[in-house]
Amino acid sequence: MRGRGGFLRAHTWLIYLFLYAPIAILVVFSFNKATQTAVWQGFTTEWYGSLVHNDLILTSVRNSLIVGVAATVVATVFGTLVALALGRYAFRGEGLTRNLLYLPIIIPEVVIGAALVTFFGVVGLRLSLVTVILAHVVFSVSYVAIVVRARLSGFDRSLEEAALDLGARPLQTFWRVTLPLILPGIVSGTLLVFTVSIDDYVITSFVAGVGATTLPLQIYSMLKVGVTPEVNAVSTLLLLLTVVLIVIAQRLQQPPPEGVRD
Amino acid sequence: MRRRYGIAATLTTALLVIAAAAIATATGCRGGASHEAAAADSAASHEKKLNLYIWSAYMPQDVLDDFTKQTGIAVHFDLYDSNESVLEKLQSGVADYDLVVPSDYMVRILIHLSLIQPLLKDRLRGLENLDPRFLNKGFDPSNRFSLPYVWGTTGYGYSRERVKGTPDSWAPLFDPANKGQILMLDDMRECFSAALKSLGESINTRDAAILRKAADLLKKQKPLVKTYNSSDFENILAAGDVTYAHGYNGQIAKVIAANPGRFGYVVPKEGATIWVDSVCVPAQARHTDAIYAFLNFILDPRVDARIINAISYASGNGAALPFIKPEIVHDPAIYAPEEALVRCEFVEDIGDATELMDEFWTEIKAQ
Amino acid sequence: MTIQNPKPKIQNRISPAYPLVLPTWIVLGVFFLLPLTILLVISFAQRGTYGSLKPIEDFAQYVRSGKILANYARSLHPIYLQIFWRSVWMAVVTTVLCLALSYPAAYYIAVVAPARRRNFLLGLAVVPFWTSFLIRTYAWMFLLRTEGLINRTLLSAGLISQPLELLYNNFAVLIGLVYGEIPFMILPLYASLEKLDLSLLEASADLGAPRSSTFRRVTVPLTMPGIVAGIILVFVPSLGQFIVSDLLGGARTILAGNLIQNQFAVARNKPFGSAVAFELTAAVLTLLFVYTVYTRKKGQDVLL
Repeated sequence: MRGRGGFLRAHTWLIYLFLYAPIAILVVFSFNKATQTAVWQGFTTEWYGSLVHNDLILTSVRNSLIVGVAATVVATVFGTLVALALGRYAFRGEGLTRNLLYLPIIIPEVVIGAALVTFFGVVGLRLSLVTVILAHVVFSVSYVAIVVRARLSGFDRSLEEAALDLGARPLQTFWRVTLPLILPGIVSGTLLVFTVSIDDYVITSFVAGVGATTLPLQIYSMLKVGVTPEVNAVSTLLLLLTVVLIVIAQRLQQPPPEGVRD
Repeated sequence: MRRRYGIAATLTTALLVIAAAAIATATGCRGGASHEAAAADSAASHEKKLNLYIWSAYMPQDVLDDFTKQTGIAVHFDLYDSNESVLEKLQSGVADYDLVVPSDYMVRILIHLSLIQPLLKDRLRGLENLDPRFLNKGFDPSNRFSLPYVWGTTGYGYSRERVKGTPDSWAPLFDPANKGQILMLDDMRECFSAALKSLGESINTRDAAILRKAADLLKKQKPLVKTYNSSDFENILAAGDVTYAHGYNGQIAKVIAANPGRFGYVVPKEGATIWVDSVCVPAQARHTDAIYAFLNFILDPRVDARIINAISYASGNGAALPFIKPEIVHDPAIYAPEEALVRCEFVEDIGDATELMDEFWTEIKAQ
Repeated sequence: MTIQNPKPKIQNRISPAYPLVLPTWIVLGVFFLLPLTILLVISFAQRGTYGSLKPIEDFAQYVRSGKILANYARSLHPIYLQIFWRSVWMAVVTTVLCLALSYPAAYYIAVVAPARRRNFLLGLAVVPFWTSFLIRTYAWMFLLRTEGLINRTLLSAGLISQPLELLYNNFAVLIGLVYGEIPFMILPLYASLEKLDLSLLEASADLGAPRSSTFRRVTVPLTMPGIVAGIILVFVPSLGQFIVSDLLGGARTILAGNLIQNQFAVARNKPFGSAVAFELTAAVLTLLFVYTVYTRKKGQDVLL
């Protein structure tokens, strides 16, 4: 396996290079003296300072985080439950459920957005952060379901049955046997939908109401003004924050349970 | 096995019920007593809040802060970058905006669809300050619904370093010699306007044959166009990706000012689009007091001048001229001279011909 | 040999699956199916003069004359078919590239890297996408444009004499699409790869199979659920993409996503836009249905 490991490692780091090249540019330009994003005109940290006073951007970041966390939590729970159902049981309506979950991925965002705003209008639900969260949940559940379902394929029930045989209660079995085994799938799904939610522009632009501007909306709206490096600065800070969070999560992680491959 | 998941499922269903209840209360009963609704309305009309829905770069923060300081009314604003967003939000009927600033043709559509309400002229002071050139236009005769805010033209910017002399017509943008050096707005109406004007036709023609000629011209032009872009065409010009950039004058004027001597702006002699963005009150707007306080605030020539000085567009308020920075007033890219405006036209809705134009546009883009 | 647990046959009493799918059905039913039904109805109407709907005077006549299907008929014109074809092609290439790039990386993270590093590496792969899509795309433009970083570097290193046209064309669009879709491929692949039982691979090697054989006949089939999940999550949304082709492609091509976007925005023709969208949906659902039937027949695990 060793020769292969070398090639794989090199490939992976190349992929990371590809992923981070624009990010590096983004970070570098947060120190750009010019207000135009295309031309470099000297080093400055003023944008980080002015960011603190930019209520528009700060509010939009806050909104994005609220929507992201709320939608992700709901979508992860619902999506995992559906994946469990589809992976374990044969039931009437199974095919329908499957198709229901495919739809949010197939249907273009523009259509979902337009449909939602029309619907909200018909029922009289005023546009706000709540409508944004609802919209985000709608397109997120499917992603979680698909990723967790992939994880469930070929799931070895004998472990659960063994636990039950040994006297564990069903809920206990779920928490301590099933959940840890499908956890990587859930984590993948959660990361995925949070990513999608925090950067969603199209659907959000349709259903956001007064005071519900999220970061992508704010950035897009700044296009005509000239996207100042403040946007780069806030993106850089968010980036730093998430990297720090991941490192902390890494440190806090329990060692893998015995029997699981290392 | 059933009990294992039962608890999780029960919890989530409970969550849902609570959420549904919350939504139901937030929506309120639509069929509620009408006098309750009226009372709510009249309470809202005195509320010290204002929700603005406006183009990005059309309102400096400090002017809003001043307004709040003077009147105690808190202003909240959301930004949009296309007229269709305004239409979409107002059509839904559930967006809470008090003021919007649509372009000319969109005002007409909003009036037709009853999405904006007539202005209460007796609550307005300073109407005489408005520039008469932009009053009583076809889209809103006698300005029952709208007040001109800013106006401009759609010509093109060019790089002085790469172009000899001063261009004055649409020809360079259709010239094969300039292949790969042209940017056009990603806007169906604006591109057709450029083509129609260079053919000597009206930009609001509904004649299928003429539209087809314009479409053919645009098809021939497409291989020459490096990119279509409506949002930050001025940056693409400034970055040197193109030599000629079709675009709105305000953004190009900014690039000209930031790079002295390197760029210029042209309102072609065949004519171009002239546009005016106007302030309107959505039909469902409720903060009436705040709305008229704000309108009166910006009708004041000095306040309007402060806005203009910050955003560098030409003002719909004629009385503001003496207070606007001379470099803005005398900048032909911002305040286009009279001769340039002679052959300019406002964009008007072309009704059913829109579908035909859209088909042509699809053909052009699909090439 | 994989361990499969065949699902119990459909029982007469209420399946324990129902409470699990109920929350999703309620949320999607109310906030997704209902709104879409409204649009579906609209897709049979015609665009009114100002962009709302044209009122239908005589419904029976409207149906009889076939006008009720006018939007669907229109979408079958060659020009639109050409657009769909180009979008499909673009989406296929994007998916293939994504898969090729992501699989080795996902394999490395899930199998080769030490277990304690896995979440960290996975997180690292996803974190770039928590920055603004727009800013990332602008960063790509900065890299790719004629006077951009890549060209300037290559020129000053003497590797090329003329700047390369890397922006405002299909190449740039592909880069943008692939770049944006990588997390959607890496994450499902990882989920599937992570539970790969290495002892099976060792057994295969012990039995004398060369590495490529083991890969083809053991690893790939075992991780097929992840592969298929990734393909679906990348291919399908790519069909509806329009922003990347606008920014990086210079808005010079019109893909299915642009077409639909135009109808909802500038053309103010919701009926036609909805019709096109539903056709796209029907086509993809059919593909998925065919795939499901095919894999069921072969006894393999299905996607969902």
